[in-house]
Amino acid sequence: MKMLAFKLGLGVIVAVVSIHNASADPVTLQVWAQDEISHYTQVLTRDFEAKNPDIRIDLKLINFADVENDAIRAAATNTAPDVSQIDNPQVATFASHNLLLDLGPFVANSKVIHREDFYPGPLTNATWQDRLYAIPRGANTIALFYNADMFRAAGLNPDAPPKTWDELYTVARKLTDPAAHRYGLAYSAVATEEGTFQFLPFAQTAGGDFDHLDNPGTVRALEFWQKLLDEKIVSNDVLVWGQVDLMASFRAQNVAMAISGPWELPTLDREAKFDWRVAMLPVEKEGSPRASALGEHAYGVFKSSKHPQEAFRLLEYFISQQGRNWNEFGILPSVKTVTTVNPKWPAAYAIFAEEVQYAHARGPSPMWPQISKPIQVAIQTALTHRADAKTALAEAQRHVDQVLKK
Amino acid sequence: MRFLKAWRDSDAFNLVLVVPAVGYLLAFSAFPLIYNVVMSFQQVDMFDVGTLIRPLRGFGNYVDVFARSEAGTVLWNTVLFVVMSIVFQLSIGFALALFFQLDFPGAKWLRGLFLAGWVMPALVVGAIWRWIFAGDFGVLNYALRSLHLIGGPVFWTSDPSIALWSIIIANVWLGIPFNMILLSVGLAGIPDDVYEAAALDGAGMIERFRSITLPLMAPTLGAVISLGVIFTLQQFDLVAALTQGGPAGASNIAQYWSWQMSFETYEISDGAVVATLMMTVVAAVALIYVRAIRHEQRA
Repeated sequence: MKMLAFKLGLGVIVAVVSIHNASADPVTLQVWAQDEISHYTQVLTRDFEAKNPDIRIDLKLINFADVENDAIRAAATNTAPDVSQIDNPQVATFASHNLLLDLGPFVANSKVIHREDFYPGPLTNATWQDRLYAIPRGANTIALFYNADMFRAAGLNPDAPPKTWDELYTVARKLTDPAAHRYGLAYSAVATEEGTFQFLPFAQTAGGDFDHLDNPGTVRALEFWQKLLDEKIVSNDVLVWGQVDLMASFRAQNVAMAISGPWELPTLDREAKFDWRVAMLPVEKEGSPRASALGEHAYGVFKSSKHPQEAFRLLEYFISQQGRNWNEFGILPSVKTVTTVNPKWPAAYAIFAEEVQYAHARGPSPMWPQISKPIQVAIQTALTHRADAKTALAEAQRHVDQVLKK
Repeated sequence: MRFLKAWRDSDAFNLVLVVPAVGYLLAFSAFPLIYNVVMSFQQVDMFDVGTLIRPLRGFGNYVDVFARSEAGTVLWNTVLFVVMSIVFQLSIGFALALFFQLDFPGAKWLRGLFLAGWVMPALVVGAIWRWIFAGDFGVLNYALRSLHLIGGPVFWTSDPSIALWSIIIANVWLGIPFNMILLSVGLAGIPDDVYEAAALDGAGMIERFRSITLPLMAPTLGAVISLGVIFTLQQFDLVAALTQGGPAGASNIAQYWSWQMSFETYEISDGAVVATLMMTVVAAVALIYVRAIRHEQRA
């Protein structure tokens, strides 16, 4: 008797829940994103909610370095969100473990997202084994920031920034002034992903790459970095400087030229009291191929999501708003069809928009972090002269080969 | 009333007291510990951390870890880091404790203020030391240069032969207050009349320190050293903030290495191996600590 009552009660509850769902109650999407200065996800999910009353967004913001780790752990314990932001070289890690929804069929029916509209770099990183597993929200890349006032003071032409490694070396050398505590150049050789991110373009313009580390081009690139450090044109502290740190030195005029990305522009605009400009990343020699690094994030929908349609609508909304990318968030568009109206810092925009076309995707490989680590170790080993560039890179290549073989 | 008393004396009541404590320990200490040990013998992928059933690798992971080219450096760095941190934390902390024992005006206040450094989160301490240690515009280099002690800048965190020492310096600074407070408590427990009697017998200051202070402080020192080893082996934030184990692994220590393998390159089994080995060391030290405490209570 008691059991029957219990079952009846349960039946009522189930019925009530079903009716509840049948009415136009909003669907709630769990979205995980990075806590960024630009507040990209906060702003756009808020706007999306305002336009889509049938969908609520439950947004969780996570510290920069922990988003992927948290999402992987959540997926492993069946508590993954519907949508998560993923750093582009890590999409393959998620996709290869069968955690993300294949977005191909959704895109095929979409009026907003068209696969052929994406630039090749962002598309490569969002794709794993020919299937599209994430939607890249934008792109960023790195270029050469320089202090034009210092160029003038040193008798250099600020309208002719260095184009090749030789010119970069000569100019940086001229701008270096130990008495004034000033270095000519700064790159980031920190033992994190940022170090790999900054080094690979130098290797790529010389003919090397992450899977061709023992290639003479990669060796020349590392030897070039080494020469700059040995001659104190670059501070020894670049071994511990992330990109934000080296740009702080650039703003404080302790560094005349620095390599970094468009995310720095708002702060630079606000704080730098000098004539700063941006130039294309120098290539090895005249005629060498241009190369740059491709950064930025994508959003993937987890396979476990109960609301894939709604989740995809959110991603469509992100793409539809790409015209706002640059002026509001300092991100370049990832689709060719978008035009940025009245871009802020138009000269810098032109440089970055051109540079991003030469941006190489990192990977894709589900083992990217294990490939990136030996590269960081090789860079630091050579720069601190624990081994010469050739030996350090050969050792890194051995590690990368092992990883790629697995 | 009588019922309450009977209840309080009953085995059931004892059980009620014991079960939550043991349950807590099992859930929040024993389980993670065992889970970690189990992972060190398995082939673990970041994506199956949700299960306990995974392919067994036996001691293969242990062999892998020790075969890594950086294993030797990390081991030596860890020993150096722990020993040097303890030696300086303890000697400076002890000296300060003796100093504040002199009971000059404001001594208690000043001693309390020393704790300010210790209560700061290690990550904040790391950020501050990062500025102090900066090679080109750091406070420390500025001071040393003004005193004409150095010619050019010293790259405290990016010179591979110095980076580990910089972390040790920051860690010593962070640990001194804790050592000082614990040792002060120990010193306060030594009755004054023992010293007075010794003075009457003609024992000098050094003699009194050697034959009274040191032997009576032995249990406290043992406890402080054990806690120091445990805290030092837990010190992760300073490495993360100052050098990330670099340059080129020159300042990497076991706890940071374990984290790097687990959460940077997702080689979780290898990370678990290092964590398990460290746990063994900490357990041994904890045993010594418990024994030291027992002596202290008896004394």
